[in-house]
Amino acid sequence: MFRMTRRAALGAVAGLTLAAGPALAQEEEIVIGASLPLTGVFAFAGVAIESGLNDYITLLNEEGGIDGKPVRLVYEDTGYKVEQSLAVFNKITSSEDVHFYYGDSTGFAKTIGPEIERSGDMVLAGASFATELNDPEIHPHAFITGPDYSEMVEILLEYIAEESPGATVAMINSDTEFGRDPIERTKAKAEELGLDIVLEIVTAPGAVDVSTEVLKLRRSRPDYAIFHGYVLAPLPEFITQAKELGLETQFMGTFWSMDSKQWADVGEAADGYMGVMPYRYYHDTAEDAPMLDKIREMRGVYQHSGYMQGFLSAMLMTEATKRVMASGEELTGDTLKAALNSIQDFDTGGIIGVPISIPGNSVPVGRVYRFDAAAGEMMPVSDWITLGD
Amino acid sequence: MSDWLFFIEVSLAGLGSGALLALAALAFVLIYKATQVVNLAVGELLMLGGYLFFAFAAGWGLPAWAAVPLAVIGGGLVGAVVERGIIRPMLGESAISVFMVTVGLGSVLIGLVELIWTADPRTLPAFISTKPLFLGEAYVSRKIAVAFAVAAVVIGIFLLLFRFWRGGVALRATATDQAAAYSCGINVPGVFSIAWIVGCATAAGAGILLGAIGGISPTMGVFGLSALVVVIVGGLDSILGALVGGLALGLIQSWTGTYLGGEYTNVVTFGILIVALMIRPYGLFGTHEIERL
Repeated sequence: MFRMTRRAALGAVAGLTLAAGPALAQEEEIVIGASLPLTGVFAFAGVAIESGLNDYITLLNEEGGIDGKPVRLVYEDTGYKVEQSLAVFNKITSSEDVHFYYGDSTGFAKTIGPEIERSGDMVLAGASFATELNDPEIHPHAFITGPDYSEMVEILLEYIAEESPGATVAMINSDTEFGRDPIERTKAKAEELGLDIVLEIVTAPGAVDVSTEVLKLRRSRPDYAIFHGYVLAPLPEFITQAKELGLETQFMGTFWSMDSKQWADVGEAADGYMGVMPYRYYHDTAEDAPMLDKIREMRGVYQHSGYMQGFLSAMLMTEATKRVMASGEELTGDTLKAALNSIQDFDTGGIIGVPISIPGNSVPVGRVYRFDAAAGEMMPVSDWITLGD
Repeated sequence: MSDWLFFIEVSLAGLGSGALLALAALAFVLIYKATQVVNLAVGELLMLGGYLFFAFAAGWGLPAWAAVPLAVIGGGLVGAVVERGIIRPMLGESAISVFMVTVGLGSVLIGLVELIWTADPRTLPAFISTKPLFLGEAYVSRKIAVAFAVAAVVIGIFLLLFRFWRGGVALRATATDQAAAYSCGINVPGVFSIAWIVGCATAAGAGILLGAIGGISPTMGVFGLSALVVVIVGGLDSILGALVGGLALGLIQSWTGTYLGGEYTNVVTFGILIVALMIRPYGLFGTHEIERL
């Protein structure tokens, strides 16, 4: 019988280690970490984001990864709770070599921000479009895959000013950090564009009945009303009551309240609802969107707008990584952010309909869509609007 | 438009949403009155009612007249299962243990709903007309008016049942003294079951009305928190307290949201809770228990 002595065992371990060394080097990979809200109040988006991130990474790996190195997404569910998100971050970043991290909320981004800046190891992307994160002075290693919330409303205001100069506008915001985000910038931009903010409504978090708010709307009869800080409720009830009262106000919303399928489920009341969307919808068959064809090949059913956000986030994170590796520099927060900012007139394969640049922390591009109840889809009503052009 | 008409319209809207609060509060009261258990899962049972209606009306394509009672019965069945399977084995345990079980039950219900229907927010098939209703010149949302009428009828029925029906009297007797109720031949465990069934069915009904107005999502159970404020202010064991507390809170929330802004609604709501607890910890209409040593 074979008997292994301690010396023999040590020798075997050493030999295995030496033998595995080159193999490990060959299997070196790029890891993207993520705190994803797969359960909880934001799960509807988290699940879609996870699919989008993973699908782009799958496509990339099928084409050889980055410089021959495969990309791997390491993530865990956070339940959309900041403390859980932080725990996931600590777990993933302590066990993996992570240089891009996808966070699930504004709260997480603001909490982990100082640590990201202190370590200097990585860039933080995520599901938050908070205006506060779009300040390269305060958050030099943050990145938003799209316009921030204020920029979204500014895109809508530019559209309104173009269509109806001097129009009256109502702002309807939920009393949450998310909802209050663009209020100040909205007022400033409206003044700059000659639009008149005639009504400001703040709804309590979780408010269901909106009768009193509709009464306020009936008093001021604005040409446009812009919702921000909501996903679906209480928008359909708001719109239904306003229509029944004969108001001709055009209702608009921002990214998280612009998913096509959720409005299709609402039905007739959704007809005419407009808003800003930074990405093309799943059903868009534009000729210059080959990436959407690939997505439809991979996923035969409609994908939530969060999917596009995740997909494009993975595309831009890996593009920046590729650029840093091509330059021979080390992967750090500084080099990756510089690589992101070097992205100019970049073709997203049609996810966004125009070539994009990342001048600061955001991609300030969007398009205005209008829901067509007969078609059951969001339809574009404007060209792509790039702020600052 | 005159300011008075606007004030009346705002007040009517407040009364309507207050009626919904009262209906949800009734679910707390019915269960507490019989079993002395504060069921913190009422909000989630309310959510489940909305989803059951969604399943029957949108999934199976049943008309509203069939889907509504089925969803309410479904809520009652869940109540029966919970009472027999979870709450009754806890008889004799400390109140805090039972209370924590209901907290866990709420999380389980959210998880189940997310598993079955996903976490996507949804809209219920329309079953209440959206045509505006005018009382004189004052506008009232028809859905809110329907919610008010349903809540008023349901609460009125319960007030009468507790006063005159044998089962209602048995429930009141059980609430007053369980041992004495046993000795009088009242089937106390049966009373517990009925309270849970009726309480959960009421919550499910409130969930359908709430879902018809604001849509459904796994997080809509937070509405239960406002209803909890109602029962604490009105009295945990008082049906009349649920009615008066609900209408009062609805009015106050409506006035606050209109004249101060929505950002003050929760501050005022929970401010009232604190003041009520300091002044009348047993609620406006609740039983003031005096322990004699």
